[in-house]
Amino acid sequence: MSAAAAIPRAGISDRLLGPLLIAPVVVVLGAVIAYPLFAALALSLFAVDTLTLDAQWVGLGNFGELLGSDGRFWTALVVTLVWTAATLALQLVLGIAMALLLNRDIWMRSLARSLVLFPYFISTVVAVLVWRWLFNDFFGLINLALIGGGVIDAPVDWLGSMPNAFVSLVVVGAWKFFPFVVIAVLARLQSIPESLYEAARLDGAGVWARFRDVTLPQIGEVLGIVVLLRAIWDFKEFDLIFLLTGGGPIDATRTLPLIVYQEAFGLNRMGMAAAYAVSMMIVMLGFFAAYRAAVRGRA
Amino acid sequence: MVAGVGGRVAHNGAASGGFSRRAVLAAGLALPVAGCGAPDDRIVLRWWSPQAAPAQARAYRAQIKTFEAANPRYRVLFEPTSDDGYPAQFAAAFAAGQVPNLVSHLPSFAAQTYYAQGLLAPMDPVIAAIGADRFLPDANRPYLAPDGRHAAIGIGSTAVDMLWVRRELMAEAGITAIPRTWDQLRAAARAMQKGAVYGAPLPYGSNSMTSLVFVGFVHRAGGQIFSPDLDLVLDSPATYAALDFYRSMREFCPPGATSFGWADSLNAFVSGATATGIYGGRVLINIARQNPRIAQHLACVPYPTIDAQVPHWTFNDFPSLFMPKQAPHQEATRALAASLYDPEGYVRQLLAAPGHVLPVIKGITDREDYRGNTITTTFAPEIAAMTAAASAGHNLGYESPAHRPNVKAGEIIASNALAELVQRVVLAGENPRAAVARASRAIEAIMRR
Repeated sequence: MSAAAAIPRAGISDRLLGPLLIAPVVVVLGAVIAYPLFAALALSLFAVDTLTLDAQWVGLGNFGELLGSDGRFWTALVVTLVWTAATLALQLVLGIAMALLLNRDIWMRSLARSLVLFPYFISTVVAVLVWRWLFNDFFGLINLALIGGGVIDAPVDWLGSMPNAFVSLVVVGAWKFFPFVVIAVLARLQSIPESLYEAARLDGAGVWARFRDVTLPQIGEVLGIVVLLRAIWDFKEFDLIFLLTGGGPIDATRTLPLIVYQEAFGLNRMGMAAAYAVSMMIVMLGFFAAYRAAVRGRA
Repeated sequence: MVAGVGGRVAHNGAASGGFSRRAVLAAGLALPVAGCGAPDDRIVLRWWSPQAAPAQARAYRAQIKTFEAANPRYRVLFEPTSDDGYPAQFAAAFAAGQVPNLVSHLPSFAAQTYYAQGLLAPMDPVIAAIGADRFLPDANRPYLAPDGRHAAIGIGSTAVDMLWVRRELMAEAGITAIPRTWDQLRAAARAMQKGAVYGAPLPYGSNSMTSLVFVGFVHRAGGQIFSPDLDLVLDSPATYAALDFYRSMREFCPPGATSFGWADSLNAFVSGATATGIYGGRVLINIARQNPRIAQHLACVPYPTIDAQVPHWTFNDFPSLFMPKQAPHQEATRALAASLYDPEGYVRQLLAAPGHVLPVIKGITDREDYRGNTITTTFAPEIAAMTAAASAGHNLGYESPAHRPNVKAGEIIASNALAELVQRVVLAGENPRAAVARASRAIEAIMRR
């Protein structure tokens, strides 16, 4: 008797067994993905008061207002896209550079590998508080150092004027999240066969050529995943931006998640907040589709 | 037989005198449970407040202890919230039905907003329990709802935007009198600004302080944001004068004032980085603790107006006490609310931030325990000035005695429409008329909802 035949079926036919086995997964996915998704979609079609939850059907009215005359959505979308692209680019540059460094046989490499993860592990609230102190115009180390070094005469307003506020945001975002790139890229670097580099050296390849022709193709797939994940996470980043600039000056750093928050809890318009959130989801689906197309094209 | 500690023989055959694995596991599980003591089956009453500095929290705990001693069935849990974060916290709490039993120190317009939505219980029974005649005249007027009942009651009074000056810096700059008008203030700020000391810490951030300070400036230019019938009258000469003044003061404020909120503005003056300040009575305790060398030079007056003919207008957020209707145990909560006004505990609560939250109960300022405090003694003239200003104070939800309560004031502040107006004109150099039109559209949209 075969092992398969020995499994008791308790009267369950093959046709039922499959659906029964995947039922728990379907239930869990339905509860944690499908239900919130459809709830958000449904919410976006109503005018809902956050405080009382009184709801009134408005159909696509929220989306009409969102895309309408005041241009708030489009401004915030541009800010969100620029923030995502800028901070992601800086994260990649810093992350790859640091991963390459930590892949070399340097002094106290183990300690350095641990310390480089520090920004990623500490709470965003703590990180922002520390950076706000660094940027402070009375006591901040950055202004004090620049004044002490004779670079500037008076403190620079790092967080309240443009373009400083945006640059500061991008730098802090990159500092906070680049360790994720380091972790992913370093793991891949360690698995690249040394023979590839030896062959390249025999062919006379220099440092840049080895990076371009050996390292970069080898870490390409990992970078693709990293870019996709970090793009999604940066696109919906809320706490760092909210705590660092609050979206100001005016709306220069106000990204879509900040508007969702303001609509839901400042203006008590839960339906409109849901409409913004659904719009964000559509944009992110665009990212995902582009990624899939790129991956398919490469294959 | 159940395995246990004490060398009893267990089912698994462990030798007598030793401990079975099961026994050790049971003991391990039992110890933490035993360490927790008897379960606390008292009924919990939750109390939220944004006024939660450590000394204030200690004072509340003392009041809670007194209440719990008199009401052993109840346990009161104090939870801090924040001035800028409360709209979000309360929106989430109301939406989830997880509301606190009692809320203190939110501005009067927040209470009016929630009451208008049917979310609060009227506080008239608590006023009756305390004794309506024990309150200072009109102390509870800002909380009077259109239905004739009280959405909240006053737990204190504040003069939030007083002008603070340092007399020694004024003397050094050759200024003999504290500024009364905007021109005088500008001249004083210019004269006192030197080295690392700036003239003023006015806020230009995208936050509630900028909005609320700007509302004050419009009134100090002789205007108002709404008419008494709550028609928006923002597009007025007074608004443009206020914007012009706000813009003219930018050069006397620190570079980082573009993101200043309440704490930044307070810290700038207390640390000595600015020659003048704009804040309430918390300045006193903070200077006494953090920068006592300037304490003897302090003075405060109502913030200057456009000219001496325009009367002062002081922002009083009328710290409130209210009870969400959804919360259980209303009777006990009413008793807790009334207990907060027992003189001894009330004085202790006020003296936790002396001069910052001013009393609304008659006779408190004459009590020995209130007058015996170092801060209230040393700064008696300043506290008297704040008390006078606060008693004539108003806010966006209660712009004048002629105004109807504006239940949308909280949303207008949370929208940052007024702060953005300031930023557009002052920081971005936009045309004031276009910026006012934009802000008006945003505010009118909120009023229409």
